[in-house]
Amino acid sequence: MRVRLERVYVAYSGSRRPTIRDITLSLDRGIHVITGPNGAGKTTLLETMIGLLKPYRGEAYLLGVNTKSRNVFRVRRKCSYVPQDFMKPPTEAYTGMDVIRLGLIFNRDGLNSINELAERLNAIDLLEKPFGKLSGGQQQKIMIIRALARNPEILLLDEPFSSLDSDTRRSLCEILEDYRDRLVVIVSHDTSKIGRIADGIVRMEEGRIVDIS
Amino acid sequence: MIFLESIISAILSSILIASTGYYAEKFRITTLSFCVAHAALAGASIGLILRVDPTYSGMVLAVSSAILLGIVLPRIQAKEVLTLSLFSFFSAVALIAIYISNTTVLATTTLSMVLWGSILAVDVNKLVMLSIVLLAFLLYLRRFKFQIDSMIFDRDLAEAEGVDVYSHTLALLAFMGVAIALALRITGGFLIFALLYIPIASALLVFDTAKGQLMASIAFATTASTLGFLVSYTFDLPIGSSITIVAASILLLSAVVRKCRFHSILGSRF
Repeated sequence: MRVRLERVYVAYSGSRRPTIRDITLSLDRGIHVITGPNGAGKTTLLETMIGLLKPYRGEAYLLGVNTKSRNVFRVRRKCSYVPQDFMKPPTEAYTGMDVIRLGLIFNRDGLNSINELAERLNAIDLLEKPFGKLSGGQQQKIMIIRALARNPEILLLDEPFSSLDSDTRRSLCEILEDYRDRLVVIVSHDTSKIGRIADGIVRMEEGRIVDIS
Repeated sequence: MIFLESIISAILSSILIASTGYYAEKFRITTLSFCVAHAALAGASIGLILRVDPTYSGMVLAVSSAILLGIVLPRIQAKEVLTLSLFSFFSAVALIAIYISNTTVLATTTLSMVLWGSILAVDVNKLVMLSIVLLAFLLYLRRFKFQIDSMIFDRDLAEAEGVDVYSHTLALLAFMGVAIALALRITGGFLIFALLYIPIASALLVFDTAKGQLMASIAFATTASTLGFLVSYTFDLPIGSSITIVAASILLLSAVVRKCRFHSILGSRF
C-alpha cells in the first residue's frame, strides 16, 4: 500500500481536541477523492498522509515508511503535494519557471516535461513572469505543473480546482487519467468537478470517515 | 598588526553572522538564534570561572544548546515559551558566572570581551578559525544551494517534497553557535544581535529579492563593523556598542529610504 493509516488521531498544536480521529485507510493506486463539508478534516488527512502532521495516536505509513521516522524525507522525494490556496506575495521575485525548478531538485528529468505540461494547462506565458505577481489561479497552475513535473508515485492535491477555469480543469482531469496506475489523492469539497474520473470517494464529517465508496 | 587583525576579524565576523542571521530569519528561527547567542554568552562567562578561553567554552554551550533545541523543539508544543525561558536562563547564568568569577575589574580585557567586545581580544588563532568556519559555511551553502533555496521559498513545501529540513535547520543552528561564539570577541555577548538581526532587518526594508536581501545584509553588517571599529578606535569606545550604533543608524536610513520610495510610488499613481 502506498498510503496506510491505522487508527490515526491528529490534533493541531495547542489543541486538545483531535482534528481527525480513528482514521483507518489504505490506498494503493487510482484516483481517490476526499470530500466533506468545511472543517471535516480533509486537509489534515492529506497533510497526515505526507507526514507534515504526525499522529499522536495510531500510525501513518507513506510508501511503507512510518511518517514519524527520520527517514520519511527520502520517500517524500517520490511524492508531490499541492497545498490549498498556495499564495506568495507580490514581493516574491522568483519567476514561474524558477518555482517549478525548485521543485525538481531530486527529479532533474522533470525539466524536460515542463513546457509540455505548461502547454496542456495553458500556462506557457506564465513561466517567465514573477510568481508573486501572478493571480491565485495562475499561481495554482504553476504549482500543479511543479507537482506533475516531479513525475511522482503519489500525487496529493488539495482543492486543485478551486481557482482554475473550466478549460484548465478539463485539461488537468485528462492529465490525471494518465496517473491511474499510481496514487492520486484529491481533496475537494465539491465532487461534481472531479467525481467522474474518481476511482474512489472518501467522505469525511467532523474528523471521521463516514463513507468510502 | 593588532589593528589589521581586528579589522579583518570584524569584517569576517560580520559576513558570517549576517549571513547566518539572514538564513535564521528565512528559516523562521530568529528567536532560537537569540537564545543561542545568550547560550554563547553564558558559556563564555562560565569560561571565566573555569579559566578556559571564553571563545571555546562559549562555543561548546552555544553549539550544544543549538543542537539540543533543534532536536527538542519540533517535538513539543510550547516552542516560544521554552525558547524565551532559556533566553532568560542563559542571561542569568552569564551574570552569575561573571559575579562569582575572580574577574573583579569590569575593564579587564577578558571580561570586556565577553560583555561588550574588545579590539584587543582578537588574535591570529581566532582569525584563522573564523576564516575556516566562514569557508565551511560558504561550502555548505554552495553544496546545498537548491535545497536551501527551496526551504526559503516555502519551508513546508520543501519538507513535503523530500528536503531534509530538520538536518538543514540543525546545521544552520550549529554554524550559528560557532559563529556567535567567535564573533563574541568583537561585539560582546549583549550586543551580538547588532550583527545577527539589524543588518537583515535593514535589508528587508530596502530589498525585495532574496539575493538582494542576503547581499545587502552582508554589506550592511560589514559597513557597521568597519565603521564601528573606526569609531571605537578613534574615540576609545567599546567596539560592540560602536558597531551597534552604526548598525542602528543604517536601519534608520533604510527605513527612511523605504518611506521615500513608498511616497514616490504613491506620487506616481496620483
